[in-house]
Amino acid sequence: MKEVPGFLTVNGIPLWRHVRILQWVSQVVSGLLVVALVVWFFSNIAGAIEEREIPYGFSFLSRAYQTPIGQHILPYESSNSFLYAFWVAVVNTLVVSVVGVILATALGIAVGVAGLSRNWIVSKAALVYVEFFRNVPLLVQLFFWFYIMLALPPVDEGYVVIENLYVNNAGISLPAPHASSAGGAGIWVGIAVAGIAAGLLARSLLTRREIETGKASYPVLAGLALPFLVGTIAWLVLGSGNGEAPFQISHPAPQGTFGRIAGGLTMPAGMIALLAGLVIYTSSFIAEIVRAGLGSVSRGQVEASRALALSPMQTLRQVTFPQALRVIIPPLISQYLNLTKNSSLAGAIGYSDLTNVAKTMTQTAPAVSIYILIMAAYLAMSLTYSLIGNLYNRHIRFTGG
Amino acid sequence: MAVNAERPNTAPLLPPRSETGVVGWVRENLFGDWFSGVLTVLSLVVIVPFLWFGLRWMILDADWTVISTLGGRMIIGQYNTEGACPGQNCFWRPQVALLLTTALLGMGWGYSGARTMKRVALGVAVILTILAFLPYDFETMGWDVRLLLLANPAAVLAGWYVGCRTPMGSGRGIVISGVLVFVLTLVLLRGLPGVPGLQPVNVGDWGGLMLNLLLAVTGIVLSLPLGIALALGRRSSLPVVKLLCVVFIEVFRGVPLITLLFMSNVLVPLAFPEGFPLSRLVRAGIVITLFSAAYMAENVRGGLQALHPGQAEAARSLGLPGWQTTIFISLPQAIRNVIPAIVGQFIALFKDTSLVYIIGMLDVVEISRAFIQGNPQFIKSAHELFIFLALVFWIFTYTMSYVSRRIEENLGVGTR
Repeated sequence: MKEVPGFLTVNGIPLWRHVRILQWVSQVVSGLLVVALVVWFFSNIAGAIEEREIPYGFSFLSRAYQTPIGQHILPYESSNSFLYAFWVAVVNTLVVSVVGVILATALGIAVGVAGLSRNWIVSKAALVYVEFFRNVPLLVQLFFWFYIMLALPPVDEGYVVIENLYVNNAGISLPAPHASSAGGAGIWVGIAVAGIAAGLLARSLLTRREIETGKASYPVLAGLALPFLVGTIAWLVLGSGNGEAPFQISHPAPQGTFGRIAGGLTMPAGMIALLAGLVIYTSSFIAEIVRAGLGSVSRGQVEASRALALSPMQTLRQVTFPQALRVIIPPLISQYLNLTKNSSLAGAIGYSDLTNVAKTMTQTAPAVSIYILIMAAYLAMSLTYSLIGNLYNRHIRFTGG
Repeated sequence: MAVNAERPNTAPLLPPRSETGVVGWVRENLFGDWFSGVLTVLSLVVIVPFLWFGLRWMILDADWTVISTLGGRMIIGQYNTEGACPGQNCFWRPQVALLLTTALLGMGWGYSGARTMKRVALGVAVILTILAFLPYDFETMGWDVRLLLLANPAAVLAGWYVGCRTPMGSGRGIVISGVLVFVLTLVLLRGLPGVPGLQPVNVGDWGGLMLNLLLAVTGIVLSLPLGIALALGRRSSLPVVKLLCVVFIEVFRGVPLITLLFMSNVLVPLAFPEGFPLSRLVRAGIVITLFSAAYMAENVRGGLQALHPGQAEAARSLGLPGWQTTIFISLPQAIRNVIPAIVGQFIALFKDTSLVYIIGMLDVVEISRAFIQGNPQFIKSAHELFIFLALVFWIFTYTMSYVSRRIEENLGVGTR
């Protein structure tokens, strides 16, 4: 064997056979390669920006956007700035995402539980639902709902399902609470939230007392009664103080011959189609997660609770479901993320979500800056959902459900 | 003996009639207890009118002519129009590519001999045969088109023969043929400058279901190895490699695909020097592959994490070096355990190919939507069209999940 010179060895091992050295060299090389690639891309982008005089930077954000936004939940006018318009679009996406997540969870749990039912019709119906809706692209489903909404009659010939519920191709209008002009709405909401917090606190304190002393303390009753009482008293006090209740019901009413519906709450057609598509699509995935989660709870648990004379419903609610939650939560969170990200298909059916508005913005503002904003917005939303989910996951893991 | 004497010497009693047959089944499965009975009645109240009106609408009211009017455009998009392929009939090129693909399918059946492959290959052959007899007049759907469709069953059988009777019927043979078919398909569709009959067709004019399938196949084939590499990188003990993989995965998973596609159309061309040959389609393919690879990486990582560490330890103690442990011990078991998740990702990728509308590619969904938009007389038929599209996608995705379940059964996942 040939002697290796001393400066080429570490602890007697040649450099090219020393694992640590090899690892570090390969890491440094791969790292440098990636950095070089990224630098190359960015220098190309910078070069292109300079050469073709593409605008860049973030100074446009304070400029007036001067473009209408189809649907907006926050008040918006064309004279508002780019930054505010972007925020309006973010809120549009957030509202669809939060409402969609709540509805999809409820529907998904219902279908998932139905899939495990011993009733043949119910379980087969759930199976067909899941297998159909999760295997068809969301875009196709969105177009389907969109054209359903479009096929509805125009506003002046629209349906009045029951009094004050209007259905037409502009959307669905229904009565909604409306903050009174006399003020006091904000104060009442604050007091009501405090009442709910007090109710939750009372419930947990009374539950602990019941467990420790064995005396009946009615935690659920107290937890419900406290916010109700606080809310009612605050409502009456504020109402008599201002001469008007803090919230009034605003009824939708058709205006003029062509019928624009004013008042109440009008959910635009695009939003309804988007929510219908997102909720049904996501619920089929959630149903599968719920079914798998419930299936992961060992049979002995169910048999034991049946032996303790718990009803099937009680078994599901108090024994099976809490244990299944630990399996269900992580994939459920990723479904919530998917729903939020899938809401970016809204542009295809004319709902002004974040991606859609940003896409329009690139026509009058530097595209590169807009992309950075979009990515930051979506990453922030994803991280928030992950954070909430992980906190909840830790919570149920420690308390044991 | 006394016990025996007391037992009457008769045949065992049959269960009561109400426990067997149709009545028994209904009692057991539909009216097991009062709650189940209520559920049955409620679901019937919902399902029966739904089916009744649904079927009535489908048969009596629905106008399905929109689908026959769109016809071949759903399958190949703008490919055979004057703009894309001037002065020539180019329909035969995608059709020959299809023939090669069905032959490959037959080869897979012949090689594996699996019932699943047989069903898929024969199913495809039957569907294509039915398509050949569509009641179009010969002006719209010529003899050549029909004959080339009818050649598909023959191609499947030829592939089957090659797969089980010739030396090409080996794992390596299948892989080589697969690559060959893919390259030939691209050449056929793209064309070769200077070759008569094969005039170049701009990739921007590829469309229809052909485009969805091309993107899906490319994405599936490339994203699995890339995803595995990313998963291994994320579990690596080397901090730099790990960091790079984590950043890549989280960024691609955190942003919607549609946003990435839209960026690929504007930002990516700027990132390369001017004149760099990257067409819209290639960019879309790359973005879809990278996006899917990030999800794939997380699936594979899940499988690797679920693996008992004893497996890798045993391999190391038998003297296998690290890379052999990974390739021959850890990965095969990890992937076997997450086949459903991986196939789920393949299905998601196939469905996601419909998002290329954002960069102006006319895939099957977009061409249908554009058709409705451009022909207002068909706007009433939009439902029929999208229900049909849903069915088409469903057939593909359901086949994929069917094959995956069979593969799982064959590998004995969860039973050993």
